[in-house]
Amino acid sequence: MRNMLEKKVLFFGGKGGVGKTTCASATALAASHAGKRVLLVSTDPAHSTSDIFEREIGPEPVELLPNLWGLEIDGALESQRYVANVKEQIKGLFGHHILKEANKQIDLAASMPGAEEMALFDRIGGLIRGEDTRFDLIVFDTAPTGHTLRLLRMPELMEAWIRALSRSRQAMLGIEQDDKTDPVLISLTDRLEGLREFRARLLSPRVSAFMLVLVAERLPIEETARAIEQLNDAGVTVGGLVVNRILPASSPDPFLQSRHTQEVVYLDEIDRRFAKHSRVRVPQLASDVHGVKTLEALSEILIPHAQPSRP
Amino acid sequence: MIGVVSIRSNIRDFFHGAAYGAYERELRMQAAELNDLFLLLCYMEIVGLPNPATLYLLDVYPYLLEQFHTWHKRMGMERSPLGTLPCC
Repeated sequence: MRNMLEKKVLFFGGKGGVGKTTCASATALAASHAGKRVLLVSTDPAHSTSDIFEREIGPEPVELLPNLWGLEIDGALESQRYVANVKEQIKGLFGHHILKEANKQIDLAASMPGAEEMALFDRIGGLIRGEDTRFDLIVFDTAPTGHTLRLLRMPELMEAWIRALSRSRQAMLGIEQDDKTDPVLISLTDRLEGLREFRARLLSPRVSAFMLVLVAERLPIEETARAIEQLNDAGVTVGGLVVNRILPASSPDPFLQSRHTQEVVYLDEIDRRFAKHSRVRVPQLASDVHGVKTLEALSEILIPHAQPSRP
Repeated sequence: MIGVVSIRSNIRDFFHGAAYGAYERELRMQAAELNDLFLLLCYMEIVGLPNPATLYLLDVYPYLLEQFHTWHKRMGMERSPLGTLPCC
């Protein structure tokens, strides 16, 4: 797990309720102890990083602890911001009449289904491309698996789409006029560049990795297997597995004992099926994780000795 | 009196038209078709097809408004046929 801190972008994903947010937060904390400047980003519409750190986190990075910043992305807000930005951009370029019509059209397009997801995607893309140079490592606490995997496929899809558009535009201009000065083609080419860079960084094993969090139960195991398959398909590196909330072995309580016997079977299955990937086991803690104190304990289990030993 | 220069330019235009006219017409039609395709790709949502790139096209919409106007004129429609895209 330690070498994960060498990456630039880490995603934490998994089935709902397995502890993605706690694992992402603990890893971010460990990295900040190791001297990295870390940004912890929540992309789940139901944000819970602010609950863990027990303070408000908004759509702009806020410093939570030394070397650790938090950010909660909100799709609706991002889409509003995106639209405002475009309107500002085109303001000086067109006459009053065209602007009025264009603004109407922009508002309409921004209210289409999917616009929020797209704005979310655009913001994540900016972060992954390293737009904000303040940070060494960005840790994403993602929404449950399916939604996130779709998001990771988007650069590919969008790239193909924009490429087709600019080809079509180019073919048209080839007949009519010079294509170097066409503002539409210039805008499309810029988009294409951005998407290419986003995808290159997402797919580079040196830059990005996806961590899968699961608990030793039937459904999370199956979902993890599917997620690994899809990540491989997409070409995203699987960084490793975090097996969360393992029950203590020795307990006089017959209920816990029976849970434990079942768990051992699943743990074996996890070791067998995911032998290729590095795995780390995290025991069920005596109390649930919120606040920096309990998070410290968890980060020590996830990434031991992250604190650099002083000479 | 018609000048020699103008006669010469008329003759040149005549031969130019005779030699290239058909090609130019063809090219103009092809350009118009490509233009239509591009407009369709950009405005897919208006005709009910999902377009994954909508947000990335917002800043080119004002440039396309003019083209859209040319399009509906060319299609023989005096006013914009789409209520959602009122260009004139």
